[in-house]
Amino acid sequence: MLEKLSSKPRQWFATWLARRLPPVQRIRLQQRHIFIVPTLTGAAYAGSLVLMLLVAINYQNSLAYALTFLLASLGLLTMFHTWRNLAGLTLSAAGSTPCFVGEKGSYRLRLNSQKRDYQAIAVGWNRTQLQLLDVPRDTEQYAELTAQGLRRGWQQAPRLRIETRFPLGLFVAWSQIDLAQTLLVYPQPLHDVVLVTAGQGDNDESEQANMSAGVDDYQGLIAWQPGDSLRRIHWKAWSKGQGLLVKQFTEQQGSQLILDFDQLPGAVEWRLSVLCAQVLKVSQTDQSYSLVLTGQTIGPGFGTEHLKHCLRALALYGVSTP
Amino acid sequence: MNAAQVTRKVAEDIPRISLVWLLVAQVLVIIPHVLHVPLWLLGLWLGCAAWRVQVFRMRVPFPNSWVKAALMLSSGFAVYLSRGSLVGLDAAVALLITAFILKLLEMRTRRDALVLIFLGFFSVVTSYLFADGLLAALYSILPVIALLAALLGLQQSSFAAQPLLTLKLASRLFAQAIPLMVLLFVLFPRLEPLWSLPQPKEQGTVGLSSSMTPGDLADLGQSSALAFRARFDGAIPAQSQLYWRALTLPYFDGRSWSISQQLGTQEPQWQAQGEALSYSIIMQPSTQPWLFALDVGSSEQADIRLMSDFRLQRSTPVNRAYQYQATSWPNALRQPQLSQMQQHEFLQLPRAGNPQTRDWAQTLRKQYPDDNALVAGLLQHFNQQPYYYTLKSPLLGKDSVDEFLFSSRRGFCAHYAGAMVFTLRAAGIPSRVVAGYQGGETNQAGQFVQVRQFDAHAWVEYWQLGQGWRSVDPTFQVAPERIERGVQDALKDEADLFQGDFLSPLRYQHIAWINQLRMSWESLNHSWQTQILGYQRERQQAWLKQWFGQVDWQTIGLFLVLSAALIIALLVLWMFKPWQRQSDPLQRIVNEFQRVLQRRGFTRQTGEGLRSFWQRIRADLPEGQQPAVARFIELYEQQQYAQQSPDLVVLRRALAEIKK
Repeated sequence: MLEKLSSKPRQWFATWLARRLPPVQRIRLQQRHIFIVPTLTGAAYAGSLVLMLLVAINYQNSLAYALTFLLASLGLLTMFHTWRNLAGLTLSAAGSTPCFVGEKGSYRLRLNSQKRDYQAIAVGWNRTQLQLLDVPRDTEQYAELTAQGLRRGWQQAPRLRIETRFPLGLFVAWSQIDLAQTLLVYPQPLHDVVLVTAGQGDNDESEQANMSAGVDDYQGLIAWQPGDSLRRIHWKAWSKGQGLLVKQFTEQQGSQLILDFDQLPGAVEWRLSVLCAQVLKVSQTDQSYSLVLTGQTIGPGFGTEHLKHCLRALALYGVSTP
Repeated sequence: MNAAQVTRKVAEDIPRISLVWLLVAQVLVIIPHVLHVPLWLLGLWLGCAAWRVQVFRMRVPFPNSWVKAALMLSSGFAVYLSRGSLVGLDAAVALLITAFILKLLEMRTRRDALVLIFLGFFSVVTSYLFADGLLAALYSILPVIALLAALLGLQQSSFAAQPLLTLKLASRLFAQAIPLMVLLFVLFPRLEPLWSLPQPKEQGTVGLSSSMTPGDLADLGQSSALAFRARFDGAIPAQSQLYWRALTLPYFDGRSWSISQQLGTQEPQWQAQGEALSYSIIMQPSTQPWLFALDVGSSEQADIRLMSDFRLQRSTPVNRAYQYQATSWPNALRQPQLSQMQQHEFLQLPRAGNPQTRDWAQTLRKQYPDDNALVAGLLQHFNQQPYYYTLKSPLLGKDSVDEFLFSSRRGFCAHYAGAMVFTLRAAGIPSRVVAGYQGGETNQAGQFVQVRQFDAHAWVEYWQLGQGWRSVDPTFQVAPERIERGVQDALKDEADLFQGDFLSPLRYQHIAWINQLRMSWESLNHSWQTQILGYQRERQQAWLKQWFGQVDWQTIGLFLVLSAALIIALLVLWMFKPWQRQSDPLQRIVNEFQRVLQRRGFTRQTGEGLRSFWQRIRADLPEGQQPAVARFIELYEQQQYAQQSPDLVVLRRALAEIKK
């Protein structure tokens, strides 16, 4: 229905909606949040009831009257059931999974129920892409809503649509909620231009040196984390049943890889993209590296957390925090 | 994380639960139609259901459009062949069921399933046109709930995997709708039919017909089918008084008695005398226009007339169970005057035949010059001579009256009535055969009389100047127990002829508790017919008058809306249970935070995010409070973005810090 509206009323509707349902991080759906309208199925149902009533009148058949009235009452009552199937449900933002520009990240949505089962709740960005989930009583469920990363930085989630047609599909209760969710979008990595940084100073050499030195300076074992190189896993410990442990090495301060924004030529975005690809590439190895952005140095370090820090810094370079 | 976390796109395919309930519903919907749709439809249905199940199991594909078109055309043609046309209710219902069956094969998407479900509801409605008894009504709850479950299943997510839970939910919805349904049923105005529609053909209706050969009534005497039920406003008269008139048969062609061709529609002349009896009758469909009443009956209903032979007749044939109110004056004086022409009609006899009876009539005439004495003599003859009352009368030849009176002497009421009228006419006394029912079974549980087809009876009326018509019953002379206690009692030895099949409860009348049970059941049926099925225009008007004083649709409409609102309000209260509602604990903490700051003069605006609120008031906050508030907001936002549910303890502690 909304899609069919021409742009002006739609804009007006969006403004009105923004006033009525301002962005919040957590919302418990209540009367003023929920809209309810009959569906096409509901109209078809009403149409068949009219036919049945005509049969009842023309044949003066009490049972036909009774069934028609029963179904009419039932249809009417499902309006409240449908409404109730949204009312009281708590929606909240539950973080997001960052992505690169052009790829798909996701917003995480948490649905909490209290006291009541919520069945067949559909959430999504618009009416055509909805996912169904049930929220049994006193539980919380999560939904991942994917979205394309469009621009580097914080990406605001559009208003999300939550709707339900349960139980009979005669009515649809819906709401459009702005959970003020943000998605961190990393720059688009430019893998083809890796050579540009490789030609920088004596990094190529020191990379080699660093690697061999790093392996030698064995410091101890720490628990494995996703993203840690498989090559560093202490397989002996694992075979003894001590769990996955990773060998840790001292970092060689002098001969480490420095990825410096200011050393790169070209436009800002291009430089960020190149750095992004670099960071990703280096993190595949056990190489310790640091990222230097104007006025900000990250690292040196390695591993997943370090990578995340670097990517985040790249994504937010020159972007004011929301 | 659990299984429900896996989400699914809203797909167009039909969920399994819905399909299961659709198949069940289809079986349940079709069962009551089995009796009146062509048998080949059942074969078609089995074939289609098997095909659909195989499609679901991915063994065979859906039929392509050519196959579907061929199936549709051939089914339509087959309906035409077996029903003789495509119009008329029977054919329409056969077509509806055919569509309902074939749609199964075409069912791919939710929309198809919806069409099937709506067709199903419609088929249930049409089944009521053929059977609207208490059992049929109770049965129909099953397909309706199954259809609701199918409709529900269409909306459920794929995690709902228990068909029984869906059924339970459907039943609960059904039950919740009942109060509102009752309200609508009682108050929704019963309109006159908007246009006339083909009526269901009664399958093998038995009952009186417009002509009577003695053997006919004997055949009818073997049917235990219900003819009508009568409820008296006062006490139920003695059984021997219950002569239910249906029609008169004045014309004799030598073999059978039949109705008058030129029956006048003007009301005959009569005078009410003595006590009146008032009663209401619900008759089963007879496909005939005549009604049943005690003499002399009259009714105030607009479509009922008293015909010139004192029968009550409706303007249209009774094709559905029909209820009417009548008043009778058993002692009324009926037509003290008859014109010569009318007298002539009631003296009609074939030119020839039955010479022996004609001679005997002349002998009687000489013996009894007075008409009344002659009638009395004739009755005495039946009483004293060895006549037998039996359903097993021998076949009679050309001079049937002669054979019956003088040689076989065995017969059913029709034989006696026919023979007596023949004799009276031959003796010059205007007379006629009256056909109807006699007696009936009194149901003590429900205080009504139940008359079955085997209570069919024929008796005699003769006319005297100034005295009008008088009824006499020759059968009473032969078998008084027939009149006093009923035909079953009178024909104990021939009981197997008319007591119905082995399972019929009528067969076990001598076992007290079975009889008791049967009586209660019949009483329940009677209430069902009067209270529910009979709740049509007249009854509704009467009922509304009783409650509202007068039938003013504006008031009633208002009452309907208000009480519907009340019912809905109660249901909604019960559904939502607001007294049990607990607010969101996190929201409670935030509210508390807002209240604390509001007391200090900082009000958060509606829709203002906590962070922007914080930025707005930060400068104005006293130095000492800033860290605590900042910490709370930070914690709150952390909780918001956390991947797990909020840790309320930490937040509460932060809030307590602010309050210090």
